[in-house]
Amino acid sequence: MFFFSLIIGGLASGSLYAMVGIAIVLVLQASDIPNFAQGEMAMFSTFVGYWILQQYNVSWWSAVLLSLLFAAVLGVAVQQLVIRPLLGRPTMNLVIATLGLNIVLHSLAGMIWGNETHIFPSPLSDALPLNVAGLTIPPMNVFIILVGVALILCLTFIIRKTRAGIALRAASQNQAVARLMGISINRAFAVAWGLGGLAGGIAGVLVAPVLFLDTNMMGLLLIKGFAGGVLGGLNSLGGVFAGGLFLGVIENLMGAYISGSFGEALVFLLIIGVLIVAPEGVFGRVRTRKV
Amino acid sequence: MPCLEIRGLTVDFGGIHALKEVSLSARTGQIVGLIGPNGAGKSTLLNCISGLTRPTEGEGRLDGTDLFSLSPHAISRLGVGRVFQHPEIMADMTVMDNLLIARNRFLKYGVLAELLGLPQVRRQEAESRFAAEQVLMRIGLPDIGGIHAGSLPYGHRKLLEVGRSLLLGATVLLLDEPVAGLNEHEIDRMATLLAELRTGGGLAVILVEHNMGLVSRLCDEVVVLDIGKVIARGTPTEVLNDPAVLLAYLGEG
Amino acid sequence: MADAKKHTGRAVVVLVGLVVLTAPFWMSGYPVYVLSLVGIFGLVAIGLNFLTGYAGQISLGHAGFFAIGAYTTALLTKKAGLPFVLSLPLAGVFATAVGAVAALPALRLKNLYLAIATLGFGVVVQKLLFEWQSLTGGGAGLEVPAPRLGPIVLSTAGHMYYLILAVVILGTWAALNIARTGSGRAMVMVRESEVAAGCLGISVAKYKVIAFSLSGFYTAIAGGLYCYLVRYINPESFNIHMSITFLSMIVIGGLGTIPGSLLGAVFYVLAPELFRGIKDAPGLVFGLSLVVVMVLMPKGLWGFVGRLWRRA
Repeated sequence: MFFFSLIIGGLASGSLYAMVGIAIVLVLQASDIPNFAQGEMAMFSTFVGYWILQQYNVSWWSAVLLSLLFAAVLGVAVQQLVIRPLLGRPTMNLVIATLGLNIVLHSLAGMIWGNETHIFPSPLSDALPLNVAGLTIPPMNVFIILVGVALILCLTFIIRKTRAGIALRAASQNQAVARLMGISINRAFAVAWGLGGLAGGIAGVLVAPVLFLDTNMMGLLLIKGFAGGVLGGLNSLGGVFAGGLFLGVIENLMGAYISGSFGEALVFLLIIGVLIVAPEGVFGRVRTRKV
Repeated sequence: MPCLEIRGLTVDFGGIHALKEVSLSARTGQIVGLIGPNGAGKSTLLNCISGLTRPTEGEGRLDGTDLFSLSPHAISRLGVGRVFQHPEIMADMTVMDNLLIARNRFLKYGVLAELLGLPQVRRQEAESRFAAEQVLMRIGLPDIGGIHAGSLPYGHRKLLEVGRSLLLGATVLLLDEPVAGLNEHEIDRMATLLAELRTGGGLAVILVEHNMGLVSRLCDEVVVLDIGKVIARGTPTEVLNDPAVLLAYLGEG
Repeated sequence: MADAKKHTGRAVVVLVGLVVLTAPFWMSGYPVYVLSLVGIFGLVAIGLNFLTGYAGQISLGHAGFFAIGAYTTALLTKKAGLPFVLSLPLAGVFATAVGAVAALPALRLKNLYLAIATLGFGVVVQKLLFEWQSLTGGGAGLEVPAPRLGPIVLSTAGHMYYLILAVVILGTWAALNIARTGSGRAMVMVRESEVAAGCLGISVAKYKVIAFSLSGFYTAIAGGLYCYLVRYINPESFNIHMSITFLSMIVIGGLGTIPGSLLGAVFYVLAPELFRGIKDAPGLVFGLSLVVVMVLMPKGLWGFVGRLWRRA
């Protein structure tokens, strides 16, 4: 029984890792850049939501919706103002630029909202724990898992079926050809970064009630998001999602059964082990280069 | 005595026959042309010889040594030089550095000796530099040693790659479209160099090309591939007049 | 005109050299300490540059090597009473071995996959240091005695400064030797194209292992010097943040160049000091400076210096 509650808990934290991972992969697939600012971008948008909630008398849902809108806009803004001018530069340069942005957003948030910890409410704060087959499950966990699944389904639909999504895929696979087909690469990238920002923002508002809202909230989550993505394989949204979930579950199980303090290190050893066998993640496709 | 001998080479990529039962040989002093429409498997064949692709079946020997069980760096150390379709040079280093890299296999000092700046390092570096200067003269670019390799024009990069293989001590040269992307003057220059290499002796060359003029001019024998199979073999004149070869090329368009 | 340029260049080098050589005599304790840190981070940067700049293998776990160097040196001094001329090189050799082993799983990994694997390395090292309390003191940290050689004890800031300076000079010279010879070229070729490297008789695996080992060596020696400088180490500081800082340092300074490594260290240690005065926003300005450098100087600080030099 304990085992199953660990699984559920693991799926919940795994969903959060998966959401961050998705945010990263959307941008990575489109513009080939690992966005190291993703964590702080989500933290920032969550703070914005919190501020709206405190300042104005709106419902939780409205505040969160506005926060997500901000997150998406922030994603597009970063792409237009920071990334676009740097296109064509070596990838490492862009990575460091996003790192710089990370620090900027972290400091900015501290300056605007202070460095104390705040309590971020959720509509489920007062909800009673669910009782399923003898298990006590925090409803927040279920909610997070459901949101995660909904996100991956929606994004998969957007990427596969909508015009914007197909344009995005075309732009990421072959820019030259995409341009010839009349696709605006810039707009495709903007969409990718906007969706990425949105996914990150969703993770932010879901993490805040659980981990409490402060400027350091997303730091570790970003790393786990990357790690989960790498574990599953950065080629596909599905792979990243699976990797994140798996990471969450394994982390929980290892922490409980093997060692609480060593848990994190063991998880990384596991990831390294997987990568030895599958250098591009469990579901990753090894891309061969034509010579 | 055959230098390089390939027999019954078959390569399957998950159901697709990239190469089927291909046999080929190249002797010292000989230039063998390898032609065929795009996708015929020419690059795959070169990749097998270089050790970059593992064949499904077949035998490949260089002076009797089995090639297909070796790693790419072991194969190149046996004297198989590879010139790629797109020059792979270190853009941030000088032309000299880009040549010296080919001498690495002859260097007999280790990391510790390098760190300490021991005299044997300096001596071997000087020897390598001398050999590299010789090669630069041979490829007709004597003064470009100190130039930033990234600023080299495309034609010079291709010559550099050939020079690199010479410095490697190659006895077999695998050339993948050496004149693709070159203008007339550059093509002529490359052709002259290759012709000199042939008469100078000591090298067996496999030349993959689309430029039929070059093939006629340089090759002793030509092998034609289409969809992974050898469809013709003979002198350039024989092969270029073969209706089956013509059909293969026309058929692709 | 070219002569004037050469003379200016020489003058700058001589001036910087004089300042660096005489610093403890006219600077007070804190600036000397800051310069010592620059030297230490400079060594880390050179080490990391071998792996990431030259060989193109990204590492987000170099705090692990730094920690290994710091703790090995500290323990050899504290528990075995070794003089620093033994403890530092031994720590370096140990890290070299660790690096060689760590390289093996990394041989087939690239980009983000490699980044996460190396990140894992750093996390595991940090965790081991936390948990092996009997050896390392765990979260309580470890006090490090002053480095000694027989009767000589390097107890002042000035002493440490000159030790670090000597090691930096030696290390830079050795690094330039590597850059100019076979290994340096081989590592760059591995970065450029593993396929072409293989076809040029270069064993890609061998040079990746060499890159990891060399990198571990330099970073660990720097770690050893660090523990002697700060005299108290705690696993807490050798974290992911430190590893990320190391990586940014070499990109800002100039990836794949040795002067760039040193410049990156100068930037990373001095910039926060400069920005400390800015009210409320040292982090903000620092972060912005990273973005600005990346926008204006695609080849980092050293590339920028080079560009200015060519234009002069």
